[in-house]
Amino acid sequence: MEDRRVHLSFSEAFRLGYSHLVRRSGRSALNVASIALGLSFYTSLLLTDVFYQTHAALGGARLNVEQTYYWLVAIALAVSVVGITNAMLISVQERVKEIGTMKCLGALNAHITLLFLIEALLQGLAGGVIGYAVGAAAALLTVGFGTGFDIILKVPLAQTLTLFASSIILATLLSTAATLYPAYRASRLDPVEALRYEL
Amino acid sequence: MSFDTVIELKGLKRLYTVGGEDVKALDGVDLEIGRGEYVSLVGPSGSGKTTLFNMIGGLDRPTGGSVHIDGVDISRLDAYELAWLRCRRIGYIFQNFNLITVLTALENVALPTVFAGTPREEGLRKAGKLLKMVGLGERLNHKPTQLSAGQQQRVAIARALANDPAIILADEPTGNLDLNTGTEIIDILHGLNKNRGLTLVAATHDLKMIKASDRVVWLRDGRVERIE
Repeated sequence: MEDRRVHLSFSEAFRLGYSHLVRRSGRSALNVASIALGLSFYTSLLLTDVFYQTHAALGGARLNVEQTYYWLVAIALAVSVVGITNAMLISVQERVKEIGTMKCLGALNAHITLLFLIEALLQGLAGGVIGYAVGAAAALLTVGFGTGFDIILKVPLAQTLTLFASSIILATLLSTAATLYPAYRASRLDPVEALRYEL
Repeated sequence: MSFDTVIELKGLKRLYTVGGEDVKALDGVDLEIGRGEYVSLVGPSGSGKTTLFNMIGGLDRPTGGSVHIDGVDISRLDAYELAWLRCRRIGYIFQNFNLITVLTALENVALPTVFAGTPREEGLRKAGKLLKMVGLGERLNHKPTQLSAGQQQRVAIARALANDPAIILADEPTGNLDLNTGTEIIDILHGLNKNRGLTLVAATHDLKMIKASDRVVWLRDGRVERIE
């Protein structure tokens, strides 16, 4: 008995998702920027605090980040998520026919979901890395004049690495969460409707 | 010439509800199509051609009656089996080609083999062979936007063949092409039907396509008006 199943291996899904991101680089860049902006605010705040701690540990005055900033970070991240959801919904709308075609060629709903989530994952990763770099630069500029710019050399490496990892994970999670609903919508498209769809 | 039946429609009905009113897109269609046969579906717009195309292609589910492909009632298939049927047994060709714009010609043709679980190298090799067969051996790495309409349709034909389907379903395949390019496409399709024994079902207005076919099914108001 022949194996009556359709497939989409992770590496192939990855390849397809990557092709989409590269070909529609303008939109991808906007999504990455959206995540990176929120994330840079987040990392700049946390890094500033790490710098202050290090400064205090070395005998300097203990400075603190104002609590209200943490609220602003939460709001900034929420805005990023909403922006990405919106951009991905438009992306689904633009690709209705393509999704219908893929279903004709044998794609399952789960395959369509996977493709969109992989795009979200890649955008999240890129956004996390860029956001961290920008945030670190911003934090250094904020505290540097008070503590001296060489503070960055005195910070415990473990702490910056943990923060880097948490930024990347947060960015990926947010980007993926923002794409869940658009991906679900895409996967549920009826191929007949989708093929008839005119943009 | 006798054929074993590959597509069998029995009392096929499809109702749509549009603005609270029932529209009978198909109103009891009975039709048998044999293996290796070339059938044209002809009729005015709104006669149910496209609905019939969708039904045979396993893209839409009947309201009443049944569609059997290779003796299997496709309304009984679950989502996985239906995807398999679309992937392996049927090749689709559309009026507007429906190529994936972000992929090259080669990747487009190889896409069905991805879903079929064919190893990547093998899928790409096969896609290359099929593109050579339709005369696009020099255009493997072009994106659809870099190809003419006729070339895009040839890519679509190669894609339809990627998993060696038994049935090729074509919906107005020459509808967006000029006369000469249309004739080329018809020749390719006709050749596949004659040389490879593929069952070809085409919804069309094109007189040349109709002439080339073994049988013409005339549809009107969701019913078969006559067969010749």
